[in-house]
Amino acid sequence: MNEQSSYRVIRLHGELDLARRDEIAAALQVHGPGAALLVDLSDVQYADSTIIAELLRFRGEAASAGRRFALLLSAHDRRLRRVLDYAALGDAFALFDDRGAALTYLSAPA
Amino acid sequence: MDPRIARPTIAAAVVLALIVPIVIAAGLLVRGYTRAAFQNEQDATAMRAVAFNALRYQLDEETGVRGYAATRDRTYLEPYDTGRALLPATLRRLREDARRLQLDAAAARIDDARRTSERWNATVARPLLAHRAGAPALQLRGKALMDAYRDDMEVVQEAIDARKRQLDAATEAAIDRLNLFVALVASAVVGLGIVFGVQQFRLAAVLAAKQREAAELTAAYQTEKRLAERLQDAFVQRPLPVLPAVSFSATYVPATEESKVGGDWYDGVELARERVMFVIGDVAGHGLEAAVAMNRARQALVSAAVVDPDPAQLLARVNAELLDQRARMVTAVCGYADARTFEFVYATAGHPPPVLVEPGRPPRMLECGGLPLAVVEEAQYRSHTVQTVPGAMLVLYTDGAVEHSRDVIAGEQTLLAAVSAAIDGNTPNPAAAIHSAIFDSRSVGDDVAIMTVSFMPGAGASGEPAGTATIVAAGARGTPEGVRGTVVSLAARLRRAARPGRRDGVRIAS
Repeated sequence: MNEQSSYRVIRLHGELDLARRDEIAAALQVHGPGAALLVDLSDVQYADSTIIAELLRFRGEAASAGRRFALLLSAHDRRLRRVLDYAALGDAFALFDDRGAALTYLSAPA
Repeated sequence: MDPRIARPTIAAAVVLALIVPIVIAAGLLVRGYTRAAFQNEQDATAMRAVAFNALRYQLDEETGVRGYAATRDRTYLEPYDTGRALLPATLRRLREDARRLQLDAAAARIDDARRTSERWNATVARPLLAHRAGAPALQLRGKALMDAYRDDMEVVQEAIDARKRQLDAATEAAIDRLNLFVALVASAVVGLGIVFGVQQFRLAAVLAAKQREAAELTAAYQTEKRLAERLQDAFVQRPLPVLPAVSFSATYVPATEESKVGGDWYDGVELARERVMFVIGDVAGHGLEAAVAMNRARQALVSAAVVDPDPAQLLARVNAELLDQRARMVTAVCGYADARTFEFVYATAGHPPPVLVEPGRPPRMLECGGLPLAVVEEAQYRSHTVQTVPGAMLVLYTDGAVEHSRDVIAGEQTLLAAVSAAIDGNTPNPAAAIHSAIFDSRSVGDDVAIMTVSFMPGAGASGEPAGTATIVAAGARGTPEGVRGTVVSLAARLRRAARPGRRDGVRIAS
């Protein structure tokens, strides 16, 4: 959470599958401080389609709340990106593998 | 043994081990005490008899002397002689008993009585026996001495009686104490028995309840699992169409773990003699609910296929329908295969991409992309058209086939290698062969469904029947299930045709 630039980082770790759905849902909350939201998945080694559903829900909530949000993926680990490709999430989300670029996107005027 | 049963049992054993020696020791103590009291009481009874004799002998002596004095008949002297012989010993014994029973006052009176008896003997009995003179005076004196003697003996007897009553009371008290002790021990044992019994009973009830609960849960779980399996079996094993121009093969292997009966399915639908619809999908989650959700998605997709020739529109329609039903998230690939044009048209919804195998070319992943079904209302899908050749095969699968190692990139490579191996193996069931090639050395952690859709080698727009030797396609692999009867003999020819060096020489007849 950085008040100055007014964005909040939600960081998920490890292997995200159906067994952790409640945990993921609890983490992915739009409400809270920060005008923009950065969901940092760069430490996620594995995710199944559960993450896709949760991210889509999150996207809808963020849109309703008028908040920008971006996804940060690992630059060198393509595995999660491939799972997101199955759903073409690149079309639906702002995906970044560079933190600076993600923050620039989030701080840009809507 | 269950620790909840073992613990009180051990406690009971310890309590018993403590109680038993205490009971034995206390019992011995009480027994000794009771026996002593009882012995003293018997002594007192015996002493009373002795005291009675002491009085009787003396009175017999006196009566005998008076009788002799009055009649001079010697037979009257017999009691006197008996008394004389027995009285001293009797008085000695009485004295001894008094000492033993600690009757000090009585002892003094016994001494007194003994002296009175001697005085009577010396001053009354002997003079009376010796001569008759002064008899009335002597007799008066004798009477006085006898009264004194009798008084002494009465006091002694009263003392004995008093002591006897005292001893009786002590014996009774001892017996009471013994009874009380026995009652206490019995109560303690009964009490402990009740406490342990109640505890055991409660534990048994708790255990029984737990076991019943577990049994109910197991039964409920088994029922759901059976139902889910039956549903899934019924759905998955729906027969695939058997057509001359397009053939299907499929395999479904449920997860090794019991609880993971999943929501994977596949379907092939004959729309025309040379046109089929295919779909493979996966409902999130496991169990009965997933199986039911799977059935809904499946019905929706197959029903929509009849009216919608475009896969993207079909997925959009089904997406809206499932959202209306508030269904679970579903990923799927659906499409059409047309044996007249050798085209595959498909669209994907959050599902891993199909693999295309064309004769003479390595297998490759096709394009994919599109949101899963039943998540977002405005989801858009894209139809992909792939122009292929006779003998081409599309491999569809669920994510278990590529996510077994939790690395989809490696999983995709494994899958492509497995597809290559399977078609090289020239199997009648490529789907099963692909599954074995992937999972031969791995446990199946998730459900895996694999389906292949193949154009018959040489089945073309000409409408010529498949399986004639003249239209064997180059590199055609596999002997699709759908035409098994024809293909058995064809398979050998196909294998020959597929040998390296022959490929280029064989051309498609059309």
